[in-house]
Parts: sequence; structure tokens; C-alpha cells
Amino acid sequence: MGCSSSLPDRSVGRVGGLNPDGGDSDAKNLRVKLVLLGDSGVGKSCIVLRFVRGQFDPTSKVTVGASFLSQTIALQDSTTVKFEIWDTAGQERYAALAPLYYRGAAVGVIVYDITNPDSFHKAQYWVKELQKHGSPDIVLALVGNKADLQEKREVSVQDGIEYAEKNGMFFIETSAKTADNINQLFEEIAKRLPRPSAS
Amino acid sequence: MTSNASSSSFSDEDEESAGQKPKTGSIDYSPDAIENQLPSIALNTSIDEEKVSVADDHHEPVTEIARGSSREIEPERLISSTGESNLSTETGVWRNSSKVEVDGATSSPCSSGYAGEMGTSSGTASTSGADDIQELRNNSSSVGNDGEVLHSAQWVPGKRHVDEDDTCMSWRERKKHFFVLSHSGKPIFSRYGNEHKLAGFSATLQAIISFVKDGGDRIHLIRAGKHQVVFLVKGPIYLVCISCTEEPYESLRGQLELLYGQMVLILTESVSRYFEKNPKFDMTPLLGGTDAVFSSLFHAFSWNPASFLHAYTCLPLPCATRQAAAAILQDVSDSGVIYSMLMCKYKVVSLVGAQKAPLHPDDMLLLANFVMTSESFSPICLPRYNAMAFLHAYVHYFDDDTYLVLLTSNSDAFFHLKDCRIQIENVLVKSNVLSDIQRSLLEGGMRVENLPLYPSTRYGSLFHNEPSDRSQESLQPGIGGPDGLWHFIYRSMNLDQYVSSKFSSPITTHQHQKRLYRAYQKLYASMHDKETGPHKTQFKRDGNYVLLCWVTTDFELYAAFDPLADKGSAIRICNRVCQWVKDVENEIFLLGGGSTFAW
Ligand SMILES: Nc1nc2c(ncn2[C@@H]2O[C@H](COP(=O)(O)OP(=O)(O)OP(=O)(O)O)[C@@H](O)[C@H]2O)c(=O)[nH]1
Ligand SMILES: [Mg+2]
Repeated sequence: MGCSSSLPDRSVGRVGGLNPDGGDSDAKNLRVKLVLLGDSGVGKSCIVLRFVRGQFDPTSKVTVGASFLSQTIALQDSTTVKFEIWDTAGQERYAALAPLYYRGAAVGVIVYDITNPDSFHKAQYWVKELQKHGSPDIVLALVGNKADLQEKREVSVQDGIEYAEKNGMFFIETSAKTADNINQLFEEIAKRLPRPSAS
Repeated sequence: MTSNASSSSFSDEDEESAGQKPKTGSIDYSPDAIENQLPSIALNTSIDEEKVSVADDHHEPVTEIARGSSREIEPERLISSTGESNLSTETGVWRNSSKVEVDGATSSPCSSGYAGEMGTSSGTASTSGADDIQELRNNSSSVGNDGEVLHSAQWVPGKRHVDEDDTCMSWRERKKHFFVLSHSGKPIFSRYGNEHKLAGFSATLQAIISFVKDGGDRIHLIRAGKHQVVFLVKGPIYLVCISCTEEPYESLRGQLELLYGQMVLILTESVSRYFEKNPKFDMTPLLGGTDAVFSSLFHAFSWNPASFLHAYTCLPLPCATRQAAAAILQDVSDSGVIYSMLMCKYKVVSLVGAQKAPLHPDDMLLLANFVMTSESFSPICLPRYNAMAFLHAYVHYFDDDTYLVLLTSNSDAFFHLKDCRIQIENVLVKSNVLSDIQRSLLEGGMRVENLPLYPSTRYGSLFHNEPSDRSQESLQPGIGGPDGLWHFIYRSMNLDQYVSSKFSSPITTHQHQKRLYRAYQKLYASMHDKETGPHKTQFKRDGNYVLLCWVTTDFELYAAFDPLADKGSAIRICNRVCQWVKDVENEIFLLGGGSTFAW
């Protein structure tokens, strides 16, 4: 069980239903595959749950394999973006399976925990992996989560920014607990998506 | 082993902790004590008195279940696994009565480094220590209902007492330990305490196992005082249970098998190849974040009959409802799905397999025990189906209790399976299957109070509304069913399924339920004992119950009665129970639909 309670998927402000075969991404209605990667315990599932259901579960369970959630957001320019989110398991035994979930992803969100330097190193591993094996035009975001735990911070904002800049990534610090920057994260990603206007 | 012995072990405490056991008396029996004492356990020690007082009308085997060739271990003369050595099978209880000193050199304070090591994922550690209290609290809450469901809903999974190690008194007083270690002695898993801190203890276990193994033999069991130490060797992986719960050896060994199966479900059996490459391979990281899975498995060992019956159970449903579910599962299962299961908690609503091989009940237990997300796609291995390969499990929860599992070998099948699920969901909603499931959860099932005493067509179904039943039951506590029938479990041999009656008064508290569970478990082991041969019937009276067991080639019936129940009428009631089960079998069992699925 991830952070998600086992409730049926429902959310406020979602546009459209949970329909995977509506493969009709057009310029106004984007449909994108997003994968979350990062060490176990950094808060990936909590970020997704916060984004999709507006909840935070402090007793969040370790994810097994990967769980799938989707959420649609409307942008200022009246386009909608439907995120099909793969929340992957950070446990070591699932590392080899990651390609299964990031293959074909338009967005990679790599999460670390600002109180845990090891998770920052693991994040760099995932960045390299996605640069090597992900889709060539993948949009990458680096997320420092648990920003509410300032007093326990061990990875400086500066380190995050620098690494992200070097690798052409979007950077943000979030807190799934307080909801800080969670919506911003997804909105910023949406803005950076390549628009299929020409085709 | 005896009625009195078992009643003493079912005090208020949960198996997790021996609680207020006096410290002085407990030292001898702690696992650590065993560790320290193994070299000095002599074969000439006295026979334990406990085993002498065997229940009058039933001969529980108290034999040492150590098989293999004869082999003496000198000079320690410890755990010989022989069946025919001078340690006769009859005197298999070894007394360990000398005092034990705690090795001061290795003692270190119980620190809390565990949570840090395991990462934030072990957030469940915050529930540490709460379980014992939790279990007690449940006693007052589950009244007259399906207590197992109630209390399993309240029980919080997660590893307990993570800060302990073998130098902690509290750790040594735990009633039932499970360890997994590698053949080189590296700890892989411990039910309690920090694996890393248990390296020394683990090395000792390894030494014992290897010592016997090097002599071309196998160690199965050590008895030391109240403790049994049960071993299971699976290639490079060693599993050990240290228990003073008085469960039969066969049950404990079965639990080790399930523990191994759960590990295989998570990792497949191919992990053993890591040990071929590197004997010192550290397997703990591969099991990261699985504490909740294992703790809920250990919990199942004290309430889920499937764990010793090796059979599964169905959610009672009107026949048409189950058929509707089966039909839609069958439709989708033709498209590359190996197994489709609609489950409600640990009970099966419907199950369809594209292949001839039926899903093994143990695999179902392990799968249902493996927690997954609301909608997820994860690699899992079914040990009895193919222990070497992963399948991919699509899991979707329709509500808190009801979920669908679609198993495939195709790692790209997620969206296809998601489509299948949407189709299935539409049908389930339209034909009210999901609401029938909820209704059955609340009021379905066999209640001993409703046992029909005379053949009558009126009782052909469990789903005729009899609104008076529930209130009647709560108004008259301590009544149970006719002629003192309190509870029963019926297991159908060719269906691999069992049905158990709902717990009703007076078996209402968790303690009562667990005590009855243990009594059944013991009865099961004695009925299936290989040495004394399979029994046909057994009638056993003790301070707690009259237990009646009846085994035929078609079914096994386990029934518990009021301790004052009359033997003749108990037998009569058992016949009625069997008739009742037959009458409603299409509501409580998944019956093979002929051509589609051969059971
Ligand atoms: N203080 C704080 N705690 C958080 C935050 N986000 C998550 N957590 C906690 O971190 C723990 C792990 O969160 P999860 O979301 O389950 O972690 P995960 O990255 O999904 O881990 P895996 O599924 O194992 O890969 C939980 O105990 C959460 O309560 C946050 O923003 N602030
Ligand atoms: Mg997660």
C-alpha cells in the first residue's frame, strides 16, 4: 500500500475520467506519462497522494513494484494536462525493473529527501540513468522533499539548484506534509512540456 | 501438549511477549540461553515432566521429530538429529536446567539505530510496542461477530521491538522468534530486533546447522525446556523458529515453510544464486520495506486457519452473485491472464485460471498477505507455481476490502489489464456484486446458532433474511449453537477449501479465538501425524472445550463444543453440520464450473 488509502480514485478538480484509451493527446488536451524515481522513503508516494487526492498519510507504506495514479490539471491558457503517474518503489530490489516504468515517459521526477544526503546521491544515479536510457526529449525535474524539516536539513538548497542546473533540470523543494510547492511542481512541469502543436 | 499445559500458555498475553514472566525463571528458556547452553545439553538429562501428562483420550505425539541417519555429536552431544540413537524418539524432550550467564562482552545497550539504517520507510516502527496492548484492547471490541475479521482490521502490521538484540531481556522473553540467515551465518531477517545487531546470534545458529550438516545429516528440532527450536534449510537459506508457544512441531515447520514462501514471493528462489557467487552476500537490503508483510504473516499464524489447513476459504455469496463474478473473470482471462482473482480481504469471491494448474492455497495465502497499493503493477512470484520466475500482478482495490488481482507473465500488460479491470468493474457494479460482497461481510456466513436441526428446505440458503438472528445472539450471550456447539471448521478435501463458522458467543474475545485456533492447530497436527498414522475421529475433552474431529477422504470436520457437552449429541451435531454444509455448498464454496476450470 502506498500512501494511498485503498479508496477508489477520485479527486477534486480533475478534468475527465480515468480512461487510458482516450489516447487523444492534442494541443489542448495533453496526456503525459510521468514517472517518479528516488530512494525508498523520500516521499514519492506522499507527493503523489498529495497531488492527486490532497491528502497526507504519515503512516505511508512502502510501495511495491509501482502504483499507478492519474490526475488532470487545467492551465491558465485553458489547456489541460492529464498526468498518468507511475509511482515506483524505491527499494533496491526493484531497481532493475525501473525501465519497465520509465520507458516512454515524457516526464521524470526524481525525488530526494533534504534530510538525507544518501538519497541525494541516489537521485543523481537516477538522473544519469534517465539521461542514458530515458526518452530523448524527457522533461526532468529534481525534487527535494520534506522541506518542512528545515532543522534536519542536510542537503542545501544550493546543492540541489547547482546539480539541477548542470543537468538542465527543473528544481523545486516540496513538502508533501504541508502541501508546499506540490501543485507548483506539477504546474511547472506542465509548462515545460513540448506541445504537439505542429503534428 | 496437554490440556493444562496449553491452558497456561494461553494467558492474556499475546505470543509476541511473555510479558510479566518473572525474570529469574525466564532466563533458562530464552533463545540466548539455548545458544549458550547448546554445548552443554546432555543426552542424559531428565525427561520433561510436561510431556508425561498426555491428555487421556487422545495421544498427541510428543516424539522428537528428528529424522535422518544416526549420528552422534561428540563431545558436545548436542542436537543429534537421529531417529534411532540412544536418544529415543520417546524421550525427545531435553531439559536445560542450568543457569545461564549473559555474555557481558557482547552486551550493548539497546539503541535505536534501526530506524535510521532502514530509512524512513520503516515508519511503522512508531507502532513499536503497541501490539501487545493492541491485542488486549481488541478483546472487548469483538463481540459476537466475525472476530477474526474484526481484529485483523484493527491489528497494525509492522515490525515490533526493532531496537532489541539478543542482549536485551525483553528480546529473549519473546515467545516466538523467527530468524532467517544465510549459510555463511549472515542474518537475513529477524522477527524481533535488529538483524545487524544479531550477527553473533545468527552465527551461532549457523554453526549448529552446519555442524550437523557437515556430518551429512540434517537438524530438524531441538527441545530445551519449554522451547522448541525448529530448523528448515532451503539451499543457502536457513530458517529457524524458536518458540515456547507449545504449538506442534509440524505447525512450526509449516510456518517456516510459509515464511520461506513469502520471501520467494518477493524475490523468487533465484536469489540463491547470489550466494553461489558470493557466500557472504548480504540479503537484507533486498528485503527492505517488507516488515509489514512478514509481521502480518506471523499474525496470520495465530488466526488464519489457512496457514495450517493449506486450504483457502470463500466469502459466502448467493450462488448467482458468484456466478456473475466468475463469468466476467472468465471473459477477460482468455486474453493472456494466467490467474484472475476477485478477493475480499483474505477470502475468495471468485477465481479463474487460464491454465489447468489450480492456484495453490498457500500461494493464495501468501499473495493475499502481500500488501499492495490501490492500483499497482508489481512483480511477484508464486512459489508453488514457479519459484524461479516473476509474474506480474495487476492489483486494483474497488473498496477497502475488495480487490482484483490479475496475474500475467507479460511485463508490458499493465494497460491491457487496466482495461480488463474496467470491464470487470462495470459488470460487477451492474450486477451488484460489490454491494453483495459488502452485505456478506456484514451479515453473511455460517453461524452455529442457525444450524438447522432437522432437514428442511427452508435452510437451503444462507441468504434468506432472518432478521431476528443477530439481535437474538446479542441478547443471549454464552449460548452458542445447539447442544453446546461453539464453532466448527469444515474442510473439503477435493476443493482445497474450508469454511469456518463465524465466531459467536462465548468465543468472542481475541484470546478465546486464538486459544481455539491453537487447539484446532494441535488437533490438525495430531490427526495428520505420520508416525501414529492418520486418525479417523478424535474426541477430546479438556477444561476449555470438547473438541471433535472427523476425517474422511472427502472432508475434515473440526468442531468445538462446550466442555460439558455430551459425546453422543456432539456426534449428532457434527452430522448436522456436514449436512448443512452440503445444503449450502454452492454459497460457501467455489465449485468447479465443469469445463472452464477443473478443480
Ligand atoms: N516530514 C515529512 N515527512 C514526509 C514527507 N513526505 C513523506 N514523508 C514521510 O516519509 C515517509 C515515506 O514516504 P513515502 O511517500 O511512502 O516514501 P516513498 O518515496 O514512496 O518510498 P518507497 O515507496 O519505498 O519508494 C513516510 O513516513 C511519510 O510520512 C514530507 O514532506 N515531510
Ligand atoms: Mg512509495
